[in-house]
Amino acid sequence: MAGRQGAQRPNGATQGKICQFKLVLLGESAVGKSSLVLRFVKGQFHEYQESTIGAAFLTQTVCLDDTTVKFEIWDTAGQERYHSLAPMYYRGAQAAIVVFDITNQDTFARAKGWVKELQRQASPNIVIALAGNKADLAQKRMVEYEEAQAYAEENSLLFIETSAKTAMNVNEIFLAIAKKLPKNEGGGPTQSRQSGVKLNNEQTQQSEGGCCK
Amino acid sequence: MDETYDVIVLGTGLKECVLSGMMSVSGKKVLHMDRNKYYGAEIASLSPLEDCFAHFKREAPAKEQYGRGRDWNVDLIPKFLMANGQLVKLLIHTGVTRYLEFKSVDGSYVYKGGKIFKVPADEKEALATSLMGLFEKRRFKNFLQFAQEFDIDDPKTYKNVDAKTTTAADVYKKFGLDGNTQDFTGHAIALYRDDDYMSQPCGELLRRMKLYSESLARYGKSPYLYPLYGLGELPQGFARLSAIYSGTFMLDRPGTTIEFEEGRVVGVKDNEGNLAKCKQVICDPSYSPEKCKPVGKVVRAICILDHPIPNTKDAQSVQIIIPANQVNRKKDIYISVVSYAHNVAAKGWYLAIVSTTAETPDPEKELDVGLQLLGPIHEKFVSVSELYEPVDDGKTSQVYISKSYDATSHFETTCTDILEMYERITGEPFDFSSLKTAQLESED
Ligand SMILES: Nc1nc2c(ncn2[C@@H]2O[C@H](COP(=O)(O)OP(=O)(O)OP(=O)(O)O)[C@@H](O)[C@H]2O)c(=O)[nH]1
Ligand SMILES: [Mg+2]
Repeated sequence: MAGRQGAQRPNGATQGKICQFKLVLLGESAVGKSSLVLRFVKGQFHEYQESTIGAAFLTQTVCLDDTTVKFEIWDTAGQERYHSLAPMYYRGAQAAIVVFDITNQDTFARAKGWVKELQRQASPNIVIALAGNKADLAQKRMVEYEEAQAYAEENSLLFIETSAKTAMNVNEIFLAIAKKLPKNEGGGPTQSRQSGVKLNNEQTQQSEGGCCK
Repeated sequence: MDETYDVIVLGTGLKECVLSGMMSVSGKKVLHMDRNKYYGAEIASLSPLEDCFAHFKREAPAKEQYGRGRDWNVDLIPKFLMANGQLVKLLIHTGVTRYLEFKSVDGSYVYKGGKIFKVPADEKEALATSLMGLFEKRRFKNFLQFAQEFDIDDPKTYKNVDAKTTTAADVYKKFGLDGNTQDFTGHAIALYRDDDYMSQPCGELLRRMKLYSESLARYGKSPYLYPLYGLGELPQGFARLSAIYSGTFMLDRPGTTIEFEEGRVVGVKDNEGNLAKCKQVICDPSYSPEKCKPVGKVVRAICILDHPIPNTKDAQSVQIIIPANQVNRKKDIYISVVSYAHNVAAKGWYLAIVSTTAETPDPEKELDVGLQLLGPIHEKFVSVSELYEPVDDGKTSQVYISKSYDATSHFETTCTDILEMYERITGEPFDFSSLKTAQLESED
């Protein structure tokens, strides 16, 4: 959850900090959310990307000067289709990419809806980026760059046009977010909130406990 | 909506969401609906705080009286997870645990003679406790050790106790435990809510004691865990599992009706008359009241406090058990406390729920002894809920109905109901090993 301070190397040189952040993707179906993640994480693109089921949780790191930023990326899994996305999805997210398809005006309207929802429900300091995807299809453009840019400015969002197909600006959008995230000690904007333990099989911290033994 | 599904699930309570996830993972086509706009049904955590006031038909509090409304997630039902219990096993095996973070509950307390005592969590606390005298401690320690070593598959561990015929009362007598220690063992460790178990074979008592010890050994402070942001996170986590396996989710769908032909379910109609066809329905009692019977009442008081519970060393989370015998009742009273440390309240605030099974015509009054332990109370929301169970096993109608959440303080009976329903629905017992966490979602 919260970022961690890197350890001191034995030779005395300071190793960079490692910060981990939760990033969520939002946007209408078929705008290219999964494609952006796939491009960013695996460098791949599928012309016939299936509507998302399955791989909806990936991680990828980017390096910024002396800091390693690890993104825990949550792709939506279809719950958003009937407005049934669980609040848990953006709970504690430090960053969000709201995606629309520049060839489809409706997806831009929907993107605005998501921005509003994030501003109301998510952590107050969440970094939101707006991605106008499918920039390679500029000849079919229905959303003008200036229009989206103006909207982004009004709402203090990062705005970049991307193409998961050609890889244009894909790494850049994640980098831009990484730069904007606070990397102070203790990590992200949720640091005032509590953090807990993750459960796993090995987590037997002490075995001599036992009641009244 | 106008499609055919294998299973339609109604209600997004924990039981429904776990089953929805299991069905989707096994390749079934699942449609999951809820009449409310939010996940969780009976087990929702209400947020913001204003929604909690509205839920109990109360006027919203003054602005900022309780900090930021959205910092609150108020559970309607008080429960903790046993750290080594079935729900934790389900969370780990399904990989749902990756969506959640937990905190160990700071301590467990038991009421005796008008005061509360910490249930010892380690040897040092056990030596220091004034719960029992020195000689009794030694006898109790012997009994605990016996329970921990008892293995139904290994007769060498039996020590002349037959788990199937020796009663709990007999086994207490055999180890020479006095009434107070029996009360403490049965209610604060084995978590029985009344004394009916005394005349039952002791195998179950020993199993429960072992679960307690093993749960305690996992995180040290108490055997209980609680998820950050409230219990409502649990159904949401399993709903996501179901969605990842292509389950379709629709919230805010009031007025659905289950449709039958010749006593067998054929589908579910929404309030506009659209029919979604299906072979099976899974739902909570509120979606099929005519197939349910009442089996008792639970009374709960949700209390907002601006301080920790007195005499708990300022714990940010605790459980207090008031054994029935101590207050001349049949069923125990439970208190569970969580706070801003769990992201369920604004900074500095605490949420306590006092609950029990109603035994009199004035259930609210029954909570008094518990409420008195809390210190000053800022706000109190009392509810009396009828508990329901299905009248049949659902095999004829193919409508499988869960039981209402009972008054137990943990999720063990919840999981038992889930696993029994799974077996009735699919005809096979649930196989934990059928779920391989690694295959669920590709990571890295
Ligand atoms: N030309 C072009 N096609 C793209 C681009 N990004 C995605 N696509 C295509 O658009 C379709 C939908 O992409 P997805 O990544 O599945 O979209 P999604 O937003 O994840 O959709 P859901 O999972 O249904 O919410 C696929 O056929 C992709 O190949 C892009 O930048 N350019
Ligand atoms: Mg997708």
